[in-house]
Amino acid sequence: MFNLVIGQYVPMDSYVHKLDPRSKLISVFLFVLIVFLANNWVTNMLMVLFCLIGIFLSKMHFSFIYKGLRSVFIIVLITFLLNLFLATGGTVLFSWGWLHVTTNGLTQSIFIAIRIVVIIVVTTLLTLTTSPIEITDGMESMLNPLKRIKVPVHEFALMMSISLRFIPTLLEETEKIIKAQAARGSDFTSGSLKSRIKAIVPLLVPLFVGAFKRAEDLAMAMEARGYHGDAGRTKLHQLNWGWRDTLLLVSIVLLACVLIFMRN
Amino acid sequence: MDITFEHVTHVYGQKTPFEKKALNDVSLHIPSGSFTSIIGHTGSGKSTLVQHINGLLKPSAGRISVGDFVIDANQKKQDLKPLREKVGYVFQYPEHQLFEETIIKDVCFGPMNFGVSDSEATKRAEESLQLVGLPAAYWHRSPFDLSGGQMRRVAIAGVLAVRPQVIILDEPTAGLDPRGREEILSLFSDLHKRLNLTIIMVTHNMSDAAIYSDQVIAMDGGKPLLADTPEEVFSHVELLRKVGLDVPETMEFLSKLLKKAGKQQVVTAFTLDDTADAVIDLLNEVKDHV
Repeated sequence: MFNLVIGQYVPMDSYVHKLDPRSKLISVFLFVLIVFLANNWVTNMLMVLFCLIGIFLSKMHFSFIYKGLRSVFIIVLITFLLNLFLATGGTVLFSWGWLHVTTNGLTQSIFIAIRIVVIIVVTTLLTLTTSPIEITDGMESMLNPLKRIKVPVHEFALMMSISLRFIPTLLEETEKIIKAQAARGSDFTSGSLKSRIKAIVPLLVPLFVGAFKRAEDLAMAMEARGYHGDAGRTKLHQLNWGWRDTLLLVSIVLLACVLIFMRN
Repeated sequence: MDITFEHVTHVYGQKTPFEKKALNDVSLHIPSGSFTSIIGHTGSGKSTLVQHINGLLKPSAGRISVGDFVIDANQKKQDLKPLREKVGYVFQYPEHQLFEETIIKDVCFGPMNFGVSDSEATKRAEESLQLVGLPAAYWHRSPFDLSGGQMRRVAIAGVLAVRPQVIILDEPTAGLDPRGREEILSLFSDLHKRLNLTIIMVTHNMSDAAIYSDQVIAMDGGKPLLADTPEEVFSHVELLRKVGLDVPETMEFLSKLLKKAGKQQVVTAFTLDDTADAVIDLLNEVKDHV
């Protein structure tokens, strides 16, 4: 029922999985920025090539990436069509009423579609190969300098990891309550819009009651174990910056240089 | 309503790395009006099995027939409401499904969904609440003010109010105190006898399975390992132990006692009375020898 691939971690053993979350986060961020430098066939193909190498190294099955893409396919399609018809310049290939498809429009829209797909692929790859806990750990460590100016970085990271941790629990709970109410004859999938909205109430109320209860229990359990925030805490999993992480960053910077050099 | 599974297989997360076969070619029969217990280790496919009976899960292969209904792997969408009206399902921790402002409204939710009129639903709700033993003084209060055990009774009343012919119980006594367990189980045992309801209970408690049921199904690795009368199933002590199951405490006690007396036999006794009889027999035997 909940087949969301975006944001889902798939534990495996690969070079990409083993990278430091910080290097992955920085690289994905930089990559998303430099995607906008690509403006011709060669540079765009370079970006695609980079993605393919990433997927290959992560040992991730193509069907997984494809599933991630499928959920945003409609957005890609709409931007493609908008650009196709709205961009001007070049020779007219095809026209229908006031709509014209030009060579420029065609290449432009293909480039933009590639851009979106490439961005989605790298971000999906990030979440597929990095567990939510690693991501928050990486973020916390990168935001560490902000602690000097009294930003509660650790608390933010904790809030984030708790909420990420409980997403699967909530989904499970939702599925269970949907089933329980369906067994009592409630129908979430058919009927008029009004009746469907009404059918959500028996789902939402127990879900909220459960979530609040769980939050209270968690707070109590944390207090009982003497949790008191950031000061003096050590980590179970230390972050390790290795030569592969440096290599990744260097290759991203090189890619950026090549892009600047090759673009028109 | 007879329930028959024919070569039912269920696979979770088909075609993903998380693929897991929860049921593997299951064929079994649950006769109408029987009390069937399903026992098995965690992850042996008990809950998956029973969720097929009212169409909450669909088989990946094979077919299930419940009375006149047939749930087939190849069948596209079909209306399961009439089936769910006949087959009630009490989930594990059913108190989590309460949502209405008052208890009586929550119990009416089921019947109203199946198109019963307001007045009839209220009548059924009152009846069911009486059955589960919740005093009328509570009926117009919020279900969230009740204790855990009382909430569970309300949730069970909510399933009973639909007046199903088959009731599925998924660990109905989890987290209850001994008295609560006893009361809930004797309620269902009574309904089973009085109204001839078919009851299917998933449980981790071997004594409950042994005392209340006509048939016990022991699951292991997505397959029924044993399916027979409690006496027959629990006589396979070694086999049950091997798959992480146990025998009722009474049998445990008797086997230890017999060992002390130098005997190596399996006696099946589930109730206190039967156990006492078995002990008396043993003592008489020993006395004769002396």
